[in-house]
Amino acid sequence: MIPLRRAWPVAVLVILAIAPFLTANPFYQRVAALVVLAAISASAWNVIGGYAGQISFGHSIYFGIGAYASLLLFGRFGLPPIAGAPLGIVASFVVSLIIGPPTFRLRGHYFSMGTFAIAALAEILVVNWKFAGGAIGLMGPAMPRSLADLLFRNSLPYYAIFLAVLALLLALTHLMQRSRMGFYLRAIGAGERAAESLGVPVQRYKLYALLISGAFTALAGSLYAVMIGFVDPESGFGILISVNMVVIAALGGVGTLFGPLAGAIILVPLQETTNALLGGSGTGAAYVAYGLIIMLIARFSPGGLAELWPLINRNGRRRAA
Amino acid sequence: MNAPLLKVSHLAVHYGDLVGVSDVSIEVAEGTVVALLGSNGAGKTTTLNALAGLVQPAGGSIEWQGGRIEGTSADAIVRQGIALSPEGWRLFVTQTVEQNLRLGATALQDRRRFGALRDRVFSLFPNLAGRRRQLAGTLSGGERQMLAVGRALMSDPKLLMLDEPSLGLAPAVVDAMYETLGKLRAEGLTLLLAEQSMELALEFADTATVIQTGRSVLAGTAQEIAENPDLHRAYLGAAL
Repeated sequence: MIPLRRAWPVAVLVILAIAPFLTANPFYQRVAALVVLAAISASAWNVIGGYAGQISFGHSIYFGIGAYASLLLFGRFGLPPIAGAPLGIVASFVVSLIIGPPTFRLRGHYFSMGTFAIAALAEILVVNWKFAGGAIGLMGPAMPRSLADLLFRNSLPYYAIFLAVLALLLALTHLMQRSRMGFYLRAIGAGERAAESLGVPVQRYKLYALLISGAFTALAGSLYAVMIGFVDPESGFGILISVNMVVIAALGGVGTLFGPLAGAIILVPLQETTNALLGGSGTGAAYVAYGLIIMLIARFSPGGLAELWPLINRNGRRRAA
Repeated sequence: MNAPLLKVSHLAVHYGDLVGVSDVSIEVAEGTVVALLGSNGAGKTTTLNALAGLVQPAGGSIEWQGGRIEGTSADAIVRQGIALSPEGWRLFVTQTVEQNLRLGATALQDRRRFGALRDRVFSLFPNLAGRRRQLAGTLSGGERQMLAVGRALMSDPKLLMLDEPSLGLAPAVVDAMYETLGKLRAEGLTLLLAEQSMELALEFADTATVIQTGRSVLAGTAQEIAENPDLHRAYLGAAL
C-alpha cells in the first residue's frame, strides 16, 4: 500500500498542526507545546545518538547553552531572548569542536560516560559563574516590550513556532537519511571498525552528526527559555535534561525519523500530568516511571515502539521484512 | 627483483600492556599470493589489522609502494589500495547485500565505476546476485564470507587481505571460495592471506611467513615452508 505509507507522515503533521486548537484548556495547550519542544531536542539527539549510534548522555550541555544564551542576552544586554538562538547555535558548534574529537575516541558505554562527565562538569561551572546568575539562574522579560520578546499568555503561538522548527529538523533528517551521510552514519552505528576499514571517515562524520545534533539541541534550549522565561543550572544543564532526550528517543525508536516524536507524545503528557496531580512532593514520580520504561524497552523491545510498528501495520512492512 | 609492493619490518603492536605482536616482518611482491601462517593467537589478525590501520603499531615500519604508511588512519589506507576482508566478516547485517557493497565502494575515487565493480563481484559470486536485496543478516555463512570478500573488492584494491577466509565454512564452500580467489590471482590481484589451515594455504600461496607468539619465525616460498621440518614445531608451539 504505497499511497498509504506515503500519506501517514503527512497525516501525522496535519493532526499535530490542528490538535491544540481543538481544545480551549490552557493546560492541554501548554502540554502540547512542551511535547513538540521535547520532540525537537530528542530528534536532535537522535542524529548522533540514534543514526550514528553514539549514545550521548551529555546533550544537556547544548540545551543549557541555548537557554543561557537567550536569557543572558536579555538579562545583560536587554535584547529579546530569541536573539540568543543564533548565539547558542554558534556556541554549540564551538563546544562540539572541543568535546567531539576527544570523546569520539571512546566507544560504547565509555562514550556515554565521557559525555555524562562533561555535562556534569558544565553544570558545576555554571553554578559558580556569577555573571550567569550562579545557582539562582536567569529570568526572562516579565512583560513583553515588543512582539520580538515572544511573550504570550497563551501557549498556542509557542506551539506553532516549535512545530515549524520540528518540521524543519525532521525534513533535514529525512534528507540526511537518504543521503550518503545517513548511509555512513548507520554504518558507523552498526559497526564502527567495519565502517572504518571500508574507508568511511568515521571521526569526521561523527563530528558532522554532532554539529547538527548540538545545534538543534541548543535551539531547543533557546526556545525553552523564550517560553518559560527562566533557567537555572538544573533546568538548563541538569543531567535529567540529557536523560529525557535519551528516554524519549529510546521509547519511540532510536534511529527512526518519527521515533522521538512518538516518544515525546507519550512521555511528556505523562510527566506533566503526574507533576500536576502530585504537586511539588511528587515531581520525581515521572522519573520512577522513566526507570520502569527503560527496563521495559530494554527487555522487550530494544528498538522502541518503532520495532512494534510492523506488527500494527502488517501490510506496510511485510515485503521489507 | 623489484622492490616489494608491501614490506613490513619488525612490526610491533601493543594493546595496553598486552603485546599483540612483537616482531613481524613480511614481504609481499606485486601479483603474488602470500600466506600468513600460525596457530590460533599467534598474531595473524593483529598483523592484518595493523596493516589496515585499525590498530596503530607501537614499533617497526610498514612500507607500501615505497612510502611509509604506519600511523595512517584506516580510511586513508583503503584509499591507497589496501582492503581487508575481516575475520568474522563484520557485515552490516541490517542492510542489504547491495548496500553492503555500496559501503565497500566508499573509498572509490570515481563513483561511476560502482556499477562495473558491483557486476564484477556478482560475476565472481553469482549467489550474491540473486540475493542483492536481501538483508546481509539473512545470508548463510558461506554467502556472508563471499559478501565480505566482495565488499572488500568494491574499493578496487591493489592488495586484498583476507583474514581466515575458510573459517567455519563447509568444505565444498571452502573449495568454491579458493576457486574464486584463484580467479582474482589470475587477474593479477595481490593477496595476503591469514589462514589456520596450513595445507590449504601452502597449496595456494606463492610464499609464506610463519608467525609464532607474535614473531615471524620462518619465511620462504610455499614449497620451502611446506618441506621445512620446523613448520610443525612452530605450529605446536616449540621454540625455534
